[in-house]
Amino acid sequence: MSKETKKPFRQSMAEWRQFIYNPSSGEFLGRTAKSWGLILLFYLVFYGFLAALFTFTMWVMLQTLSSDIPKYRDRISSPGLMISPKPDTALEFYFNKSDAQSYAEYVSTLRKFLESYDDSKQTQNINCTPGRIFDQNDVAVKKACRFNLSELGQCSGKEDKTFGYSKGTPCVLVKVNRIIGLKPEGEPHIKCTPKEEGTVEINYFPPEGLIDLMYFPYYGKSLHAHYLQPLVAIQLAINSNSTKEEVAIECKILGSPNLKNEDDRDKFLGRIAFKVQMTE
Amino acid sequence: DDHKLSTSELEEKYGTSINKGLSSARAAEILARDGPNSLTPPKATPEIVKFLKQLVGGFSILLWIGAVFSWISFGIQLAQGAESAFDNLYLGVVLALVVILTGIFAYYQEAKSTNIMASFSKMIPQQALVIRDAEKKELPADQLVVGDIVEIKGGDRIPADIRLISTQGCKVDNSSLTGESEPQSRSCDFTHDNPLETRNIAFYSTTCVEGTATGIVINTGDRTIIGRIASLASGVGNEKTPIAIEIEHFVYLVAGVAISVGVLFFIISVSMRYKILDSIIFLIGIIVANVPEGLLATVTVSLSLTAKRMAKKNCLVKNLEAVETLGSTSIICSDKTGTLTQNRMTVAHLWFDNQIYSADTSEDQTTQPFDQSSPSWTALSKIVTLCNRAEFRPGQENLPIMKRIVVGDASETALLKFAEVILGDVMNIRAQNKKVAEIPFNSTNKFQLSIHETDDPNDKRFLLVMKGAPERILERCSTIMINGKEEPLDSEKAEAFQTAYMELGGMGERVLGFCHLYLPENEFPDTYPFDTDSMNFPTSNLCFVGLLSMIDPPRSTVPDAVSKCRSAGIKVIMVTGDHPITAKAIAKSVGIISATSETVEDIAKRLNIPVEQVNRREATAAVVNGMELKDMSLQQLDEILCNHSEIVFARTSPQQKLIIVEGCQRQGAVVAVTGDGVNDSPALKKADIGIAMGIAGSDAAKNAADMVLLDDNFASIVTGVEEGRLIFDNLKKTIAYTLTKNIAELCPFLIYIIASIPMPIGTITILFIDLGTDIIPSVALAYEKAESDIMNRRPRNKRKDRLVNEQLAVYSYLQIGIMQSVGAFVTYFTVYAEQGFLPSTLLGVRVNWENNAINDFEDSYGQEWTKYQRTYLQWTGYTAFFVSITIQQVADLIIRKTRRNSIFQQGLFRNKVIWVGIFSQIGIALILTYGLGHVTALNFTPLRFQYWFVAVPFAILIWVYDEVRKLFIRRYPGSWWDKNMYY
Repeated sequence: MSKETKKPFRQSMAEWRQFIYNPSSGEFLGRTAKSWGLILLFYLVFYGFLAALFTFTMWVMLQTLSSDIPKYRDRISSPGLMISPKPDTALEFYFNKSDAQSYAEYVSTLRKFLESYDDSKQTQNINCTPGRIFDQNDVAVKKACRFNLSELGQCSGKEDKTFGYSKGTPCVLVKVNRIIGLKPEGEPHIKCTPKEEGTVEINYFPPEGLIDLMYFPYYGKSLHAHYLQPLVAIQLAINSNSTKEEVAIECKILGSPNLKNEDDRDKFLGRIAFKVQMTE
Repeated sequence: DDHKLSTSELEEKYGTSINKGLSSARAAEILARDGPNSLTPPKATPEIVKFLKQLVGGFSILLWIGAVFSWISFGIQLAQGAESAFDNLYLGVVLALVVILTGIFAYYQEAKSTNIMASFSKMIPQQALVIRDAEKKELPADQLVVGDIVEIKGGDRIPADIRLISTQGCKVDNSSLTGESEPQSRSCDFTHDNPLETRNIAFYSTTCVEGTATGIVINTGDRTIIGRIASLASGVGNEKTPIAIEIEHFVYLVAGVAISVGVLFFIISVSMRYKILDSIIFLIGIIVANVPEGLLATVTVSLSLTAKRMAKKNCLVKNLEAVETLGSTSIICSDKTGTLTQNRMTVAHLWFDNQIYSADTSEDQTTQPFDQSSPSWTALSKIVTLCNRAEFRPGQENLPIMKRIVVGDASETALLKFAEVILGDVMNIRAQNKKVAEIPFNSTNKFQLSIHETDDPNDKRFLLVMKGAPERILERCSTIMINGKEEPLDSEKAEAFQTAYMELGGMGERVLGFCHLYLPENEFPDTYPFDTDSMNFPTSNLCFVGLLSMIDPPRSTVPDAVSKCRSAGIKVIMVTGDHPITAKAIAKSVGIISATSETVEDIAKRLNIPVEQVNRREATAAVVNGMELKDMSLQQLDEILCNHSEIVFARTSPQQKLIIVEGCQRQGAVVAVTGDGVNDSPALKKADIGIAMGIAGSDAAKNAADMVLLDDNFASIVTGVEEGRLIFDNLKKTIAYTLTKNIAELCPFLIYIIASIPMPIGTITILFIDLGTDIIPSVALAYEKAESDIMNRRPRNKRKDRLVNEQLAVYSYLQIGIMQSVGAFVTYFTVYAEQGFLPSTLLGVRVNWENNAINDFEDSYGQEWTKYQRTYLQWTGYTAFFVSITIQQVADLIIRKTRRNSIFQQGLFRNKVIWVGIFSQIGIALILTYGLGHVTALNFTPLRFQYWFVAVPFAILIWVYDEVRKLFIRRYPGSWWDKNMYY
């Protein structure tokens, strides 16, 4: 037994119409024009005040920050590794060494990436003492250390404009993420291993994949504008019997006790895995 | 028609024999045909259905939709081989778990309150004395069949509808059936065409007060009169409680907001070229953020807390939602007997020496204050004591007199107790005045007479005492006692008697006359053989001593309670089966009809004009007889209910009670009905809230009711009203508190979609607020004291005063909610900025930020972040956002303590539970961030301590702003501000 009998459809439609616009009281959606004006004015003032308050507090907060270094760097205590070129789809390289089109993007990415390492761009950079942390804490103007493209040997793009892709020996650059103030200990170097032994031969430039300590520490974008992070190029010579299959390679940073490379959750902390499949 | 048949016809009809009864075999046959002699209990909803209802009710549907969407996107992502696919699976499982757990919780709560009642319906198995196979047997009453011969005696409950075939002084109490408090005598004679009125039928579930009887069972089980009324009750549908309607309204409102915002942003995100799958995931987030998952559980807990509180005050609530219904009640239809009155005859007035004296009728009287110095009183008290057959059951000397059990009818009981209170040991007085002869009361004589030796050893006369119907007694008198002296009964004195008699009768009281005569010693010596059959002693020319009038007096707490109801804007209507005069008298004495108001009849009498000429509008009160009601159209009834503020319905039948309740409901009133008898059960069920009496109430009434008054006291209803109103106010506060943070949970999603910033708060984190930190504080609001005297305002208008009104939603959503969001966003941006991502770098980064393949994401300072490092930072953002909401919810909790008064008026520390809530809130947040901060699945991270304080200025702002709001509301009542800001 329902207490309120259902209203006929026409009546409820009429009520709705009445609610949307009531000609007798001039009410639109239950409020008169004046009432709407007042309420909108109120919210204009209210939200205006909140917006101003928000802006002000944000401004105050930003004033407490330094423009040179972030207040906290505890969320990135150890650098991640990354490669260039970076294929769009995950980290998987597919190319045909005899089809220039198939690797054109990799090559152009590499070229673009290495542009900033061009000698012409490094005129302000100085030659630092290899093998030593280049500490510039007391210096107001931080210098950047020169990274010679020739260090990358066959992967420098100077001799081979296709970075080995046309010959079936593709180059991949491995870089260590920039982290302000990071000072690696020991002798950090990149070591790459294929998942299956013997499927691929790997050449390192500079030799042994060495990362020179003189490129550390980094002082941040504004203080250290010309900083170039050290690179390690690896050239893959894929065995012809495994060309049909994907070759999985994992690179790790080794030799430095304060650079992590075995984190359970972060698969890119001091290491990187990628796949290459080359066809002929 | 069984009452019209003769015994032999009955024997034939039922194939039985009065002497031998049925044969066992035949009884078994009939039992198989008719079923057991018990009322079919109302159909119970199967437990599983109840449980399933909990799983789909309220917000559950929305959450199910969210869960299903999660699983769909899990399926799609799994097919696409995305790494994060399982997140959605888990989210779906969590959502489903939330629904199931809250469902189980609600089910458990409901079951708990139902269980309290289950104990009530358990009846002690009743036995009946039956003649079968020519033998007397004790049988369980439910084994009785039609045609059985049963014997009943005083104190028994009638086991079925019985046609009496032999009786000895049998009286039955039909009050549970008709509401009439007076026991009625039963005989074998067919006295009335109507089976309900005839003397030779006793009804199932009524009680035999005294005497014995034998009868043939003519109806059993559901076919008895009681059974038919009970089925009338079960035919009445259960109305939705007002609070259920309010909660439904609120659920619709929130669901409406959730769905429209969800759909709106689904369209926006699709048109912003988000993938459909992403858009669906946003939709889930929006739903989860919008739905206050914990709120319905909180409401249930608040209601059950109130229910517990009410149970302590003797209001036992069967249906949790009924807790609030009393608060919105605008009309109480109260039964008279037992609820308003004490349900026992008590001497109310005396008349002797030409003067009316009032007696104390309160429940716990120990003395009587009226002037007892007159020798007439001494004579009268002697008659009262001696001419009385009622006796206390032995062994009750330590009980208060009023509580002692008496064997005897209601009037004699009243007189016995009255005498015991004044004179002390009545039984001893009777022993000293040895009874030598007695004529008990019968309906032809209409008097009772006894002859006693006196306790004065020097006075050898016998004393003849007599009581009975006053006019009959007066007829037999020639003198009247004035101040202890016998004076001739002249017409002047007879006139005085008439006036007094009319006055007492007009008060609805049952009047008895008392007279005596000292028999002359010479005519009636010691050895005189009194013979009651031949009446060899004088029964006329006696000396009239006085009148005593009795009434079932109102409970002493009732008048106060009625006046409280009035000031609370609640109309109290009396609906009784009793006589109009008695009903009106009681209504006047408890204030249902106030001293100054008049009925149409009163006006007619005062102006000395015919009733028809009275302007009906002038009469504020009305006494409506059941007979009049029968001929009334619904419009006429509506008119009466509308035009008179004080109404008494007398001589009403169960169906008429139902009609009255429906009439009140047509006026838009929320109707409470009190009752104890089976006859009340249809009305109890029809009412918005049925209130049954716990002590006097029949099981049928208790079953039909939503609430049971354990002390049968009308005053307890007032407590219930107060609690109900308080919980309504407090639920408003709880809901306002809970809704607020939903905006702070929703805004992150909307800004995430529009500005493509990293996700500020996760879905799981939202659930931790809704079902974690917020639960205890929102329950704590149920302990808040009332802001003003809630008993001095009118009951809420159920069409206008909604639980969740526009103002509440707008104020919570668009004002406090937005302030909270701003505060939380400041914290969020602070966390990111201090880690290297300035606000400007965050805008529009969503796609790259969430790309698993980008592990050298550059921040504002040139540092590069792996995906996991970003995600961890994002979780830190979640935690910061969570903590900010929690901190600001503390402020929200404090401001919600009052809606109008300043917090300082209300007292910050008066409600201690609020502080438990605040500490629990912060405690849970601390545990989640620091204790469980390393459990990856929960997405919490340990947070730098200073981030707890970023939102504090905003929390203070919320408090200050709300104080200003309340100040303006108090300062400018009725202003634009008041209308738009008071919820």
